[in-house]
Amino acid sequence: MTFTGKTLMRLTTLRMMPVRRSFSTTGASRLYIQNNLNNDQTHPSLQADPNAKVYDFRSDTVTAPTDEMFDVMKAASRGDDVFQEDRSVKELEEYMANLCGHEAALFCASGTMTNQLGLRTHLSNPPHSVVCDARSHVFLWEAGGIAFHSRASVSPVICRNGIHVTADEIEGNLIEADIHTAPTRVVSLENTLSGLVMPIDEIRKISELARSRGLAMHLDGARLWNAHIQSGVPMHEYGAQFDSMSLCLSKGVGAPVGSILVGDHTFIDRARHLRKLFGGGWRQVGPLAAVAKHCIENVVPTMPETHKLAKYLSDQLTSMGIQLQVPVHTNMVLIDTASVGLDVQEDLIPTLLRKNIVIGGQRNKSRIVLHHQVDRKGVDTLIEGVREAITARRAAEPEQQQQQQVAASLY
Amino acid sequence: MLRTTTSQRFKNGLIPRNISSRRFLASRPDFYDLTSDTATEVTDDMFDIMRSASRKDDVFGNDPSVNELEHHLGLRSLLTQPPHSVLCDAQSHINLYECGGLAYHSQASVTAVASTNGVYLTAEDVDTNRVLEDVHNASTKVIALENTLNGTIMPMKEMQNIHSLARKNNIKLHLDGARIWNASQATGISLEEYGQLFDTVSVCVSKGIGAPIGSLLVGSNDLVKKARHLRKLMGGGWRQAGLLAKIAQHCIGTVVPTMPETHRLTKKLASGLEQLGIRILLPVDTNMVFIETTPMDMKELANALKERNILISSDDSSVTRLVLHHQIDENAVDKIVQVASDLINTKGYIFSRSSSKTSNVDVSKAYPSIQH
Repeated sequence: MTFTGKTLMRLTTLRMMPVRRSFSTTGASRLYIQNNLNNDQTHPSLQADPNAKVYDFRSDTVTAPTDEMFDVMKAASRGDDVFQEDRSVKELEEYMANLCGHEAALFCASGTMTNQLGLRTHLSNPPHSVVCDARSHVFLWEAGGIAFHSRASVSPVICRNGIHVTADEIEGNLIEADIHTAPTRVVSLENTLSGLVMPIDEIRKISELARSRGLAMHLDGARLWNAHIQSGVPMHEYGAQFDSMSLCLSKGVGAPVGSILVGDHTFIDRARHLRKLFGGGWRQVGPLAAVAKHCIENVVPTMPETHKLAKYLSDQLTSMGIQLQVPVHTNMVLIDTASVGLDVQEDLIPTLLRKNIVIGGQRNKSRIVLHHQVDRKGVDTLIEGVREAITARRAAEPEQQQQQQVAASLY
Repeated sequence: MLRTTTSQRFKNGLIPRNISSRRFLASRPDFYDLTSDTATEVTDDMFDIMRSASRKDDVFGNDPSVNELEHHLGLRSLLTQPPHSVLCDAQSHINLYECGGLAYHSQASVTAVASTNGVYLTAEDVDTNRVLEDVHNASTKVIALENTLNGTIMPMKEMQNIHSLARKNNIKLHLDGARIWNASQATGISLEEYGQLFDTVSVCVSKGIGAPIGSLLVGSNDLVKKARHLRKLMGGGWRQAGLLAKIAQHCIGTVVPTMPETHRLTKKLASGLEQLGIRILLPVDTNMVFIETTPMDMKELANALKERNILISSDDSSVTRLVLHHQIDENAVDKIVQVASDLINTKGYIFSRSSSKTSNVDVSKAYPSIQH
């Protein structure tokens, strides 16, 4: 290549190279569990202005019922679901079972309930254990439910690629039956996990492995909708890989309350009985079931837009120098602000609250979640707020550097 | 503790006495379901009320509507460490109808006491049956009472005696007050007075109160905080439940004052049936009548009533439970008595008058379940 050519190439490469790396590689980010647990979401001391519109990016569970939903609820049936006499609930359960390619479904108050019921129904005979991703909701965020409800141990697997566990990793962590052990009984996967889509090929491999060993496959599919929209894999194709799946209706789908467990008839019958034991037998819940079905039909098709918006947000943030903990696949942006010197609680949250934006997180890490009720304006305001916080921090830096110099000279 | 502003407002004439909930019943105005007061129907106007509720996320604890209502987790919060046991009436809901929850959730043994008088536990029943501290024992750590129990009221004096006994022996007290509203309306004793005797109280809003879903746990701040955590563990952490809380509050305000009328109708029903010769098994204090129909076939009675759009629970036994609520009117009561009377006359049933049989009848079978 000519001298000019090489120079041009070098210049081009320099221009194209990102100023900072987009994925944080500090050792701490691998210990995702540790950081995830420090995700304080309650902010007791600081509150947004309740009279103005508030954008809450802490989770997609904050999707609020619309006025229209109450009309849908009014038109629903009003039978007693404990006695299995409600039409709207039956409709939702049949719809979900068909959608997922399973025989039956159970409508419950929460994802924690459907997950724990699903696992509990598989786990009938201790000693036994569950193998799952170390970041799983069922392991970290369900108040120790696996141990409490099922008396099961957990083998939490830290995945090497930072995105999803592999069949090899699962296989390497299976516990065989032995006088000393609590053998693995259930493989529990999560899709999406931190917004990340688990590839169907890997799921198939794990499913084959599990079934060859006589293990049950359970999916925490609270956000399977997002995975389905992003990957194009049909719901029933996911369904074929699992003996049971838990899908949430109150998150991105936007219903006020509820989650669904799918499985075969025997499984769901048993889960229904256990649900009563858990205190989850509810009465005239037709309205909640009807509005959940309405939301599935009307909100899930809006998810591509939400995913685009999340991508836009992440591009804007990374261009400011902020790093991502993991790639953005669907509706979540997990940021690491160490590189721009921001402490989430000290610097970012107060600035954003003044703009009526609520986020969670601690130290350098925050998880930002989008959903169909977040518009471009909200996202832009968030971006603006982050920019302000960075500027404010940079302005404060010279002062700090001075102080550090003084301290150094004293030493 | 809940204040009884509703009964006060009722007395002040702010809530009309003749409020008829039936005119809001959208679905089947001529259909009466007496299998349970959980059958209280959701009415159209409820959705407008729900619409006005707050729409925040209750798991994040920032929904003002739901923060005033909690779910039934009292016993688990009171039982801290095995070995321990709960003493309760053998007929109580927690003993018979909660899927063995006491053992499952709390690893607690149950001392199920058959009350000597056949209606409610006395302090003596409790004292004779409580389990003492000993290396062999799972000592009694909680006494759980139920009021109303099978529609019967536990006298305040007895509750106070049991309370004293419990305190003296460092035992906690829980009240299954699913239908405490009925007890309160019948006796004139406020919820607060009842509540003061207990560490935790569970009250239901989906039964006679008529809300679609829900139950509340009442207790100290610390206990309820713990219970909230346990609720999440049970999968009860629900999101935008403000609408359910709002409608529950509305129902408490509007339905509780109608209970005296419901109780009057229940007594009318009971005496009507009794006059025909049918045996009434338990005192009719509030909204339930337990009947024993031998030699009349229970299924026959149920079918005859079904033809007249009245649903009662029935199985192969001769015992059943009739439950009234604010959506059951005088019309329905008169019809039931009429149908029973016609059936008896047509079939020529003759009822034995001996009362000695009543005390040993097991009413627990009269609990409704899934009709197959």
